[in-house]
Amino acid sequence: MTADEFDMLGQALSPVEAELLDLYARSKALLARDGLDPCVRRNLVQSTAALSQVVTDLGIAWEPLYDLGV
Amino acid sequence: MGDSPYWNPKFETAPKARLQELQLAKWQRLVEYAAQRSPFYAAKFTGAGFEPSQLKTLDDVRRIPCTTKEEWLGTQAENPLFGDLLTAPEPVATRYHLTSGTSGRTPLRVLDSTRDWAWISEIWAYGLWGFGVRPTDVVYLAFSYASFIGFWGAHYGCEKIGALTLASGNLPTETRVRQIVELGVTTVCATPTYALRLGAVAHEMGIDLATESKIDKVVLGGEPGANIPATRRLITEALGGRCGDFAGMTEIGTNMVVECSHAPGGPHIVEDHIYEEVVDPLSDRPCAYGERGERIVTSFGRALLPLIRYRAGDLVERAPHTDCTCGRTFDLYRGGILGRADDMKVVRGTNVFPSSIEAVVRDYPEVDEFQIEISYQGGRDEITVRVELGAAPGGTADDLPDRLGKDLQECHEGLRFLIDVVGAGALPRFELKSRRLVDLREQRVGA
Repeated sequence: MTADEFDMLGQALSPVEAELLDLYARSKALLARDGLDPCVRRNLVQSTAALSQVVTDLGIAWEPLYDLGV
Repeated sequence: MGDSPYWNPKFETAPKARLQELQLAKWQRLVEYAAQRSPFYAAKFTGAGFEPSQLKTLDDVRRIPCTTKEEWLGTQAENPLFGDLLTAPEPVATRYHLTSGTSGRTPLRVLDSTRDWAWISEIWAYGLWGFGVRPTDVVYLAFSYASFIGFWGAHYGCEKIGALTLASGNLPTETRVRQIVELGVTTVCATPTYALRLGAVAHEMGIDLATESKIDKVVLGGEPGANIPATRRLITEALGGRCGDFAGMTEIGTNMVVECSHAPGGPHIVEDHIYEEVVDPLSDRPCAYGERGERIVTSFGRALLPLIRYRAGDLVERAPHTDCTCGRTFDLYRGGILGRADDMKVVRGTNVFPSSIEAVVRDYPEVDEFQIEISYQGGRDEITVRVELGAAPGGTADDLPDRLGKDLQECHEGLRFLIDVVGAGALPRFELKSRRLVDLREQRVGA
Protein backbone atom coordinates (compact mmCIF):
# COMPACT_ATOMS: atom_id res chain seq x y z
CA MET A 1 0.00 0.00 0.00
CA THR A 2 1.14 3.56 -0.67
CA ALA A 3 0.53 6.57 1.55
CA ASP A 4 -2.38 7.47 -0.70
CA GLU A 5 -4.18 4.31 0.33
CA PHE A 6 -4.66 5.44 3.93
CA ASP A 7 -6.91 8.07 5.43
CA MET A 8 -5.80 10.92 7.71
CA LEU A 9 -5.89 8.55 10.68
CA GLY A 10 -3.75 5.90 9.03
CA GLN A 11 -6.66 3.56 8.28
CA ALA A 12 -6.74 1.70 4.98
CA LEU A 13 -9.13 3.21 2.44
CA SER A 14 -12.16 1.27 1.29
CA PRO A 15 -12.44 0.66 -2.46
CA VAL A 16 -14.95 3.52 -2.79
CA GLU A 17 -12.71 5.86 -0.79
CA ALA A 18 -9.68 4.94 -2.90
CA GLU A 19 -11.65 5.69 -6.04
CA LEU A 20 -12.84 9.02 -4.65
CA LEU A 21 -9.29 10.00 -3.74
CA ASP A 22 -8.14 9.09 -7.26
CA LEU A 23 -10.93 11.20 -8.81
CA TYR A 24 -10.03 14.09 -6.52
CA ALA A 25 -6.34 13.91 -7.47
CA ARG A 26 -7.17 13.78 -11.19
CA SER A 27 -9.61 16.67 -10.87
CA LYS A 28 -6.93 18.81 -9.17
CA ALA A 29 -4.36 17.83 -11.79
CA LEU A 30 -6.72 18.88 -14.58
CA LEU A 31 -7.42 22.21 -12.91
CA ALA A 32 -3.71 22.94 -12.63
CA ARG A 33 -3.34 22.94 -16.41
CA ASP A 34 -3.08 26.16 -18.36
CA GLY A 35 -5.36 27.18 -21.20
CA LEU A 36 -8.58 25.52 -20.05
CA ASP A 37 -11.68 27.03 -21.61
CA PRO A 38 -13.97 28.88 -19.22
CA CYS A 39 -16.62 26.20 -19.32
CA VAL A 40 -14.01 23.55 -18.47
CA ARG A 41 -12.28 25.50 -15.72
CA ARG A 42 -15.35 26.79 -13.91
CA ASN A 43 -17.14 23.46 -13.94
CA LEU A 44 -13.97 21.73 -12.76
CA VAL A 45 -13.80 24.26 -9.91
CA GLN A 46 -17.28 23.17 -8.87
CA SER A 47 -16.59 19.44 -9.15
CA THR A 48 -13.23 19.72 -7.40
CA ALA A 49 -14.84 21.60 -4.54
CA ALA A 50 -17.46 18.86 -4.24
CA LEU A 51 -14.83 16.10 -4.29
CA SER A 52 -12.75 18.03 -1.78
CA GLN A 53 -15.78 18.08 0.51
CA VAL A 54 -16.30 14.34 0.22
CA VAL A 55 -12.68 13.44 0.98
CA THR A 56 -12.77 15.87 3.91
CA ASP A 57 -16.00 14.37 5.26
CA LEU A 58 -14.50 10.89 5.08
CA GLY A 59 -11.27 11.95 6.79
CA ILE A 60 -9.20 11.09 3.73
CA ALA A 61 -7.68 14.54 3.13
CA TRP A 62 -7.86 18.11 4.35
CA GLU A 63 -6.40 20.91 2.29
CA PRO A 64 -7.33 24.41 1.11
CA LEU A 65 -7.44 24.75 -2.67
CA TYR A 66 -7.29 28.50 -3.13
CA ASP A 67 -4.14 28.31 -5.26
CA LEU A 68 -6.18 26.31 -7.76
CA GLY A 69 -8.95 28.92 -7.66
CA VAL A 70 -11.32 26.63 -5.73
CA MET B 1 -28.26 7.22 -0.45
CA GLY B 2 -30.41 4.59 1.26
CA ASP B 3 -32.29 5.21 4.46
CA SER B 4 -29.34 6.16 6.63
CA PRO B 5 -30.42 8.57 9.38
CA TYR B 6 -26.90 10.01 9.18
CA TRP B 7 -25.47 12.23 6.45
CA ASN B 8 -21.94 10.98 7.15
CA PRO B 9 -22.21 7.80 9.22
CA LYS B 10 -18.43 7.24 9.16
CA PHE B 11 -17.83 10.07 11.59
CA GLU B 12 -21.28 10.88 13.00
CA THR B 13 -21.18 7.51 14.74
CA ALA B 14 -17.41 7.12 15.14
CA PRO B 15 -16.03 6.18 18.55
CA LYS B 16 -15.06 9.30 20.49
CA ALA B 17 -11.35 8.46 20.39
CA ARG B 18 -11.41 8.22 16.60
CA LEU B 19 -13.29 11.50 16.35
CA GLN B 20 -10.66 13.14 18.51
CA GLU B 21 -7.88 11.70 16.32
CA LEU B 22 -9.55 13.31 13.33
CA GLN B 23 -9.91 16.61 15.17
CA LEU B 24 -6.22 16.63 16.05
CA ALA B 25 -5.22 15.85 12.45
CA LYS B 26 -7.37 18.74 11.21
CA TRP B 27 -6.11 21.07 13.93
CA GLN B 28 -2.50 20.41 12.95
CA ARG B 29 -3.14 21.11 9.28
CA LEU B 30 -5.25 24.19 10.03
CA VAL B 31 -2.76 25.98 12.29
CA GLU B 32 0.14 25.16 9.98
CA TYR B 33 -1.78 26.65 7.07
CA ALA B 34 -2.98 29.71 8.99
CA ALA B 35 0.54 30.42 10.29
CA GLN B 36 1.93 30.26 6.76
CA ARG B 37 -0.78 32.15 4.93
CA SER B 38 -2.66 34.54 7.24
CA PRO B 39 -0.64 37.55 8.45
CA PHE B 40 -3.20 38.01 11.25
CA TYR B 41 -2.74 34.51 12.67
CA ALA B 42 1.01 34.46 11.99
CA ALA B 43 1.42 37.58 14.14
CA LYS B 44 -0.99 36.28 16.75
CA PHE B 45 0.78 32.93 17.11
CA THR B 46 4.20 34.57 17.22
CA GLY B 47 3.01 37.07 19.82
CA ALA B 48 1.82 34.25 22.05
CA GLY B 49 4.95 32.18 21.54
CA PHE B 50 2.98 29.45 19.83
CA GLU B 51 4.36 27.38 16.98
CA PRO B 52 2.21 24.89 15.06
CA SER B 53 4.72 22.10 15.79
CA GLN B 54 3.77 22.40 19.49
CA LEU B 55 0.29 21.07 18.78
CA LYS B 56 0.76 17.38 19.57
CA THR B 57 -2.43 16.61 21.53
CA LEU B 58 -5.85 18.22 21.84
CA ASP B 59 -4.78 19.53 25.25
CA ASP B 60 -2.20 21.64 23.40
CA VAL B 61 -5.04 23.55 21.74
CA ARG B 62 -5.16 25.74 24.83
CA ARG B 63 -1.67 27.02 23.98
CA ILE B 64 -3.24 28.81 21.02
CA PRO B 65 -4.42 32.34 21.83
CA CYS B 66 -8.12 33.06 21.51
CA THR B 67 -9.45 35.42 18.87
CA THR B 68 -12.13 38.02 19.56
CA LYS B 69 -14.69 39.83 17.48
CA GLU B 70 -12.97 43.09 18.41
CA GLU B 71 -9.74 41.81 16.85
CA TRP B 72 -11.56 40.89 13.64
CA LEU B 73 -13.26 44.27 13.47
CA GLY B 74 -9.99 45.98 14.35
CA THR B 75 -7.97 44.39 11.57
CA GLN B 76 -10.79 45.01 9.09
CA ALA B 77 -10.93 48.68 10.11
CA GLU B 78 -7.15 49.09 9.86
CA ASN B 79 -6.85 47.35 6.52
CA PRO B 80 -10.23 47.37 4.72
CA LEU B 81 -12.06 45.37 3.66
CA PHE B 82 -10.86 42.14 5.20
CA GLY B 83 -7.87 43.06 7.32
CA ASP B 84 -4.91 40.69 7.59
CA LEU B 85 -7.07 37.61 8.03
CA LEU B 86 -7.19 36.26 4.48
CA THR B 87 -5.02 33.30 3.53
CA ALA B 88 -5.29 33.90 -0.22
CA PRO B 89 -5.94 36.88 -2.52
CA GLU B 90 -9.52 38.17 -2.65
CA PRO B 91 -10.23 37.18 -6.29
CA VAL B 92 -10.54 33.50 -5.33
CA ALA B 93 -13.68 34.41 -3.37
CA THR B 94 -17.12 33.89 -4.84
CA ARG B 95 -19.26 35.06 -1.92
CA TYR B 96 -19.29 38.10 0.35
CA HIS B 97 -21.49 38.38 3.42
CA LEU B 98 -21.77 40.75 6.38
CA THR B 99 -23.15 40.50 9.86
CA SER B 100 -26.49 42.17 10.31
CA GLY B 101 -25.01 44.80 12.63
CA THR B 102 -28.02 44.62 14.93
CA SER B 103 -25.85 45.40 17.93
CA GLY B 104 -25.20 48.81 16.41
CA ARG B 105 -21.57 48.05 15.68
CA THR B 106 -19.68 47.98 12.41
CA PRO B 107 -20.69 44.89 10.45
CA LEU B 108 -18.15 42.09 10.28
CA ARG B 109 -17.22 41.07 6.73
CA VAL B 110 -16.57 37.55 5.48
CA LEU B 111 -15.41 36.09 2.17
CA ASP B 112 -15.79 32.54 0.90
CA SER B 113 -14.41 30.60 -2.03
CA THR B 114 -16.18 27.82 -3.90
CA ARG B 115 -14.54 25.27 -1.59
CA ASP B 116 -15.60 27.18 1.53
CA TRP B 117 -19.15 27.45 0.29
CA ALA B 118 -19.25 23.72 -0.46
CA TRP B 119 -18.33 23.22 3.20
CA ILE B 120 -20.89 25.72 4.49
CA SER B 121 -23.73 24.02 2.61
CA GLU B 122 -22.35 20.63 3.70
CA ILE B 123 -22.70 21.44 7.38
CA TRP B 124 -26.26 22.56 6.75
CA ALA B 125 -26.81 19.26 4.93
CA TYR B 126 -25.53 17.34 8.00
CA GLY B 127 -28.12 19.09 10.13
CA LEU B 128 -31.02 19.13 7.71
CA TRP B 129 -30.56 15.44 6.97
CA GLY B 130 -30.31 14.60 10.66
CA PHE B 131 -33.48 16.59 11.29
CA GLY B 132 -35.30 14.57 8.66
CA VAL B 133 -35.15 16.60 5.43
CA ARG B 134 -35.09 14.26 2.43
CA PRO B 135 -35.15 14.57 -1.38
CA THR B 136 -38.93 14.18 -1.26
CA ASP B 137 -39.33 17.34 0.84
CA VAL B 138 -40.49 20.73 -0.42
CA VAL B 139 -38.53 23.33 1.53
CA TYR B 140 -39.63 26.96 1.76
CA LEU B 141 -37.08 29.56 2.81
CA ALA B 142 -38.91 32.53 4.33
CA PHE B 143 -35.80 34.63 4.08
CA SER B 144 -34.92 37.82 2.22
CA TYR B 145 -31.63 36.67 0.61
CA ALA B 146 -29.63 39.83 1.26
CA SER B 147 -26.06 40.28 2.52
CA PHE B 148 -26.78 38.70 5.94
CA ILE B 149 -25.70 35.07 5.61
CA GLY B 150 -28.79 33.74 7.48
CA PHE B 151 -30.37 30.88 5.56
CA TRP B 152 -28.21 31.17 2.42
CA GLY B 153 -26.31 28.03 3.43
CA ALA B 154 -29.57 26.25 4.22
CA HIS B 155 -30.76 26.92 0.67
CA TYR B 156 -27.67 25.29 -0.80
CA GLY B 157 -27.76 22.50 1.78
CA CYS B 158 -31.35 21.66 0.77
CA GLU B 159 -30.35 21.62 -2.91
CA LYS B 160 -27.43 19.34 -2.05
CA ILE B 161 -29.81 16.93 -0.31
CA GLY B 162 -32.00 17.00 -3.40
CA ALA B 163 -35.08 18.59 -1.82
CA LEU B 164 -37.25 20.92 -3.87
CA THR B 165 -35.98 24.27 -2.61
CA LEU B 166 -38.14 27.38 -2.85
CA ALA B 167 -36.72 30.88 -2.33
CA SER B 168 -39.24 33.50 -1.25
CA GLY B 169 -37.02 36.59 -1.50
CA ASN B 170 -38.84 39.72 -0.40
CA LEU B 171 -42.37 38.45 -0.97
CA PRO B 172 -45.04 39.77 1.41
CA THR B 173 -46.00 37.47 4.24
CA GLU B 174 -49.50 36.94 2.81
CA THR B 175 -48.02 35.66 -0.47
CA ARG B 176 -45.67 33.38 1.41
CA VAL B 177 -48.58 31.89 3.37
CA ARG B 178 -50.49 31.19 0.16
CA GLN B 179 -47.45 29.63 -1.51
CA ILE B 180 -46.76 27.40 1.49
CA VAL B 181 -50.25 25.95 1.15
CA GLU B 182 -50.48 25.88 -2.65
CA LEU B 183 -47.02 24.41 -3.28
CA GLY B 184 -47.32 21.62 -0.73
CA VAL B 185 -44.44 22.86 1.41
CA THR B 186 -43.29 20.31 4.00
CA THR B 187 -40.42 22.22 5.59
CA VAL B 188 -40.17 25.91 6.47
CA CYS B 189 -36.89 27.67 7.27
CA ALA B 190 -37.32 30.92 9.22
CA THR B 191 -36.30 32.82 12.30
CA PRO B 192 -38.45 31.96 15.34
CA THR B 193 -39.92 35.46 15.23
CA TYR B 194 -40.87 35.19 11.60
CA ALA B 195 -42.27 31.68 11.98
CA LEU B 196 -44.67 33.11 14.57
CA ARG B 197 -45.45 35.97 12.20
CA LEU B 198 -46.32 33.52 9.43
CA GLY B 199 -48.74 31.80 11.77
CA ALA B 200 -50.32 35.07 12.88
CA VAL B 201 -50.78 36.40 9.34
CA ALA B 202 -52.19 33.07 8.19
CA HIS B 203 -54.67 33.26 11.05
CA GLU B 204 -55.72 36.76 9.93
CA MET B 205 -56.19 35.37 6.42
CA GLY B 206 -58.44 32.64 7.76
CA ILE B 207 -55.85 29.93 7.06
CA ASP B 208 -54.78 27.38 9.67
CA LEU B 209 -51.33 26.31 8.52
CA ALA B 210 -51.28 23.52 11.10
CA THR B 211 -54.16 21.76 9.37
CA GLU B 212 -54.28 23.24 5.87
CA SER B 213 -50.60 22.92 4.94
CA LYS B 214 -48.28 19.91 4.72
CA ILE B 215 -45.67 21.42 7.02
CA ASP B 216 -44.10 18.76 9.25
CA LYS B 217 -40.72 20.38 9.97
CA VAL B 218 -39.69 23.93 10.89
CA VAL B 219 -36.00 24.78 10.69
CA LEU B 220 -35.28 27.68 13.03
CA GLY B 221 -32.19 29.86 13.07
CA GLY B 222 -30.85 33.35 12.57
CA GLU B 223 -31.64 34.58 16.08
CA PRO B 224 -32.13 33.21 19.60
CA GLY B 225 -35.48 31.66 20.46
CA ALA B 226 -35.34 28.29 18.72
CA ASN B 227 -34.24 26.74 22.00
CA ILE B 228 -37.08 28.18 24.12
CA PRO B 229 -39.68 25.42 24.68
CA ALA B 230 -42.64 27.82 24.89
CA THR B 231 -41.65 29.52 21.63
CA ARG B 232 -41.21 26.16 19.90
CA ARG B 233 -44.60 25.02 21.15
CA LEU B 234 -46.29 28.15 19.79
CA ILE B 235 -44.60 27.68 16.41
CA THR B 236 -45.62 24.04 16.25
CA GLU B 237 -49.21 24.97 17.11
CA ALA B 238 -49.24 27.70 14.47
CA LEU B 239 -47.47 25.93 11.61
CA GLY B 240 -47.97 22.28 12.40
CA GLY B 241 -44.38 21.04 12.20
CA ARG B 242 -41.84 20.00 14.80
CA CYS B 243 -39.11 22.59 15.41
CA GLY B 244 -35.36 22.23 15.08
CA ASP B 245 -32.72 24.56 16.50
CA PHE B 246 -29.98 25.37 13.95
CA ALA B 247 -27.78 27.94 15.65
CA GLY B 248 -25.01 29.46 13.57
CA MET B 249 -22.95 32.58 13.19
CA THR B 250 -21.60 34.66 10.32
CA GLU B 251 -18.02 34.25 11.57
CA ILE B 252 -18.24 30.50 10.95
CA GLY B 253 -20.51 30.82 7.92
CA THR B 254 -22.88 28.04 8.84
CA ASN B 255 -24.69 26.37 11.70
CA MET B 256 -22.32 24.77 14.18
CA VAL B 257 -24.97 22.85 16.09
CA VAL B 258 -27.83 20.84 14.65
CA GLU B 259 -30.88 19.27 16.20
CA CYS B 260 -31.52 15.65 15.26
CA SER B 261 -34.95 14.11 14.79
CA HIS B 262 -34.81 12.55 18.29
CA ALA B 263 -35.19 16.05 19.80
CA PRO B 264 -32.99 15.33 22.82
CA GLY B 265 -33.45 18.78 24.33
CA GLY B 266 -30.51 20.39 22.62
CA PRO B 267 -28.59 20.39 19.38
CA HIS B 268 -25.55 18.25 18.55
CA ILE B 269 -22.17 19.85 17.84
CA VAL B 270 -20.90 18.90 14.37
CA GLU B 271 -17.70 17.63 15.92
CA ASP B 272 -15.89 16.35 12.85
CA HIS B 273 -15.95 19.81 11.26
CA ILE B 274 -16.18 22.21 14.18
CA TYR B 275 -14.23 22.16 17.42
CA GLU B 276 -16.09 23.56 20.39
CA GLU B 277 -14.66 24.37 23.80
CA VAL B 278 -16.62 25.60 26.81
CA VAL B 279 -14.67 27.67 29.31
CA ASP B 280 -15.26 29.78 32.37
CA PRO B 281 -15.47 33.30 30.87
CA LEU B 282 -13.31 34.80 33.61
CA SER B 283 -10.61 32.19 34.22
CA ASP B 284 -10.67 30.35 30.85
CA ARG B 285 -10.76 27.11 32.82
CA PRO B 286 -12.38 24.33 30.77
CA CYS B 287 -15.90 23.58 31.97
CA ALA B 288 -17.07 20.06 32.76
CA TYR B 289 -20.23 18.56 31.28
CA GLY B 290 -23.26 20.39 32.62
CA GLU B 291 -21.31 23.44 33.71
CA ARG B 292 -22.33 26.71 32.10
CA GLY B 293 -19.59 28.57 30.26
CA GLU B 294 -18.64 30.49 27.14
CA ARG B 295 -18.26 28.83 23.75
CA ILE B 296 -14.90 29.02 22.01
CA VAL B 297 -15.23 27.83 18.44
CA THR B 298 -12.81 26.70 15.75
CA SER B 299 -13.84 25.90 12.20
CA PHE B 300 -12.08 23.18 10.25
CA GLY B 301 -13.98 24.26 7.14
CA ARG B 302 -13.73 27.87 6.05
CA ALA B 303 -10.01 28.51 5.50
CA LEU B 304 -9.89 31.64 3.35
CA LEU B 305 -10.87 33.36 6.59
CA PRO B 306 -9.82 30.89 9.28
CA LEU B 307 -11.71 30.95 12.55
CA ILE B 308 -9.42 29.73 15.30
CA ARG B 309 -10.38 29.67 18.99
CA TYR B 310 -12.95 32.42 18.51
CA ARG B 311 -14.68 33.71 21.62
CA ALA B 312 -18.30 33.50 20.54
CA GLY B 313 -19.75 35.08 23.67
CA ASP B 314 -22.51 32.45 23.77
CA LEU B 315 -23.35 30.78 27.05
CA VAL B 316 -23.81 27.00 26.84
CA GLU B 317 -23.85 23.78 28.84
CA ARG B 318 -22.20 20.84 27.11
CA ALA B 319 -23.69 17.38 27.57
CA PRO B 320 -22.35 13.97 26.52
CA HIS B 321 -23.64 12.38 23.33
CA THR B 322 -25.18 9.63 25.43
CA ASP B 323 -27.91 12.11 26.43
CA CYS B 324 -29.39 11.44 22.99
CA THR B 325 -30.55 8.10 21.63
CA CYS B 326 -29.93 8.90 17.96
CA GLY B 327 -26.61 7.06 17.81
CA ARG B 328 -24.44 10.06 17.00
CA THR B 329 -21.29 10.38 19.03
CA PHE B 330 -21.43 14.17 18.76
CA ASP B 331 -21.91 15.92 22.11
CA LEU B 332 -24.83 18.27 22.68
CA TYR B 333 -25.51 21.70 24.05
CA ARG B 334 -28.26 21.09 26.58
CA GLY B 335 -30.98 23.66 25.93
CA GLY B 336 -29.08 25.12 22.96
CA ILE B 337 -27.46 28.54 23.14
CA LEU B 338 -28.62 29.72 26.56
CA GLY B 339 -27.80 33.38 26.08
CA ARG B 340 -25.05 35.75 25.19
CA ALA B 341 -22.70 37.19 27.75
CA ASP B 342 -23.13 40.61 26.13
CA ASP B 343 -26.96 40.33 26.06
CA MET B 344 -27.15 40.34 29.82
CA LYS B 345 -28.56 43.45 31.48
CA VAL B 346 -28.33 44.26 35.14
CA VAL B 347 -31.51 45.80 36.52
CA ARG B 348 -31.40 46.77 40.19
CA GLY B 349 -28.73 44.14 40.78
CA THR B 350 -30.54 41.30 39.01
CA ASN B 351 -29.12 39.69 35.86
CA VAL B 352 -31.70 39.79 33.09
CA PHE B 353 -31.44 37.96 29.77
CA PRO B 354 -33.92 38.64 26.94
CA SER B 355 -34.14 34.89 26.36
CA SER B 356 -35.29 34.24 29.93
CA ILE B 357 -38.01 36.88 29.57
CA GLU B 358 -39.11 35.38 26.26
CA ALA B 359 -39.32 31.96 27.88
CA VAL B 360 -41.95 33.33 30.29
CA VAL B 361 -43.82 35.57 27.83
CA ARG B 362 -44.23 32.76 25.29
CA ASP B 363 -46.17 30.77 27.87
CA TYR B 364 -48.98 33.27 27.26
CA PRO B 365 -50.52 32.28 23.92
CA GLU B 366 -52.61 35.46 23.87
CA VAL B 367 -49.42 37.54 23.55
CA ASP B 368 -48.74 38.16 19.87
CA GLU B 369 -45.63 40.32 20.19
CA PHE B 370 -43.64 41.87 22.99
CA GLN B 371 -40.92 44.39 23.71
CA ILE B 372 -38.66 44.91 26.71
CA GLU B 373 -37.75 48.43 27.76
CA ILE B 374 -35.27 49.24 30.49
CA SER B 375 -35.25 52.84 31.66
CA TYR B 376 -34.03 55.02 34.50
CA GLN B 377 -36.93 56.69 36.30
CA GLY B 378 -37.20 58.41 39.63
CA GLY B 379 -33.66 57.55 40.60
CA ARG B 380 -33.77 53.85 39.77
CA ASP B 381 -33.89 51.33 36.95
CA GLU B 382 -37.27 50.11 35.75
CA ILE B 383 -38.01 47.23 33.39
CA THR B 384 -41.21 47.26 31.36
CA VAL B 385 -42.55 44.47 29.18
CA ARG B 386 -44.96 45.76 26.54
CA VAL B 387 -47.29 43.12 25.18
CA GLU B 388 -49.53 43.17 22.17
CA LEU B 389 -52.40 40.74 22.31
CA GLY B 390 -53.48 38.62 19.38
CA ALA B 391 -56.51 36.54 18.64
CA ALA B 392 -55.25 33.37 20.28
CA PRO B 393 -57.77 31.72 22.59
CA GLY B 394 -57.42 31.60 26.34
CA GLY B 395 -56.91 34.29 28.96
CA THR B 396 -58.06 37.86 28.96
CA ALA B 397 -56.24 41.15 28.98
CA ASP B 398 -57.83 42.01 32.33
CA ASP B 399 -55.69 39.84 34.55
CA LEU B 400 -52.78 39.27 32.17
CA PRO B 401 -50.58 42.09 33.53
CA ASP B 402 -50.84 40.69 37.05
CA ARG B 403 -50.22 37.09 36.03
CA LEU B 404 -47.35 37.87 33.67
CA GLY B 405 -45.75 40.31 36.09
CA LYS B 406 -45.79 37.71 38.86
CA ASP B 407 -44.36 34.98 36.62
CA LEU B 408 -41.55 37.23 35.45
CA GLN B 409 -40.84 38.32 39.02
CA GLU B 410 -40.63 34.71 40.20
CA CYS B 411 -38.07 33.91 37.51
CA HIS B 412 -35.93 36.97 38.27
CA GLU B 413 -35.14 36.90 41.97
CA GLY B 414 -38.15 39.04 42.87
CA LEU B 415 -37.38 41.83 40.42
CA ARG B 416 -40.54 43.86 39.74
CA PHE B 417 -41.62 44.07 36.09
CA LEU B 418 -44.05 46.67 34.77
CA ILE B 419 -46.47 45.25 32.22
CA ASP B 420 -47.96 47.48 29.57
CA VAL B 421 -50.67 46.13 27.24
CA VAL B 422 -50.52 48.03 23.94
CA GLY B 423 -52.86 48.15 20.97
CA ALA B 424 -52.77 45.88 17.94
CA GLY B 425 -49.92 46.70 15.58
CA ALA B 426 -48.16 48.98 18.06
CA LEU B 427 -44.98 46.90 18.29
CA PRO B 428 -42.49 46.32 15.46
CA ARG B 429 -42.33 42.98 13.61
CA PHE B 430 -39.10 41.42 12.43
CA GLU B 431 -38.17 39.04 9.65
CA LEU B 432 -34.53 38.65 10.57
CA LYS B 433 -32.89 39.28 13.89
CA SER B 434 -35.46 40.64 16.28
CA ARG B 435 -34.64 43.66 18.43
CA ARG B 436 -37.05 43.37 21.30
CA LEU B 437 -34.88 44.93 23.99
CA VAL B 438 -34.55 48.69 24.25
CA ASP B 439 -32.24 49.97 26.96
CA LEU B 440 -33.00 53.66 27.34
CA ARG B 441 -30.32 53.94 30.03
CA GLU B 442 -27.72 53.77 27.26
CA GLN B 443 -29.28 56.87 25.68
CA ARG B 444 -29.19 59.02 28.82
CA VAL B 445 -26.96 62.06 28.56
CA GLY B 446 -24.02 61.53 30.84
CA ALA B 447 -25.02 57.96 31.59
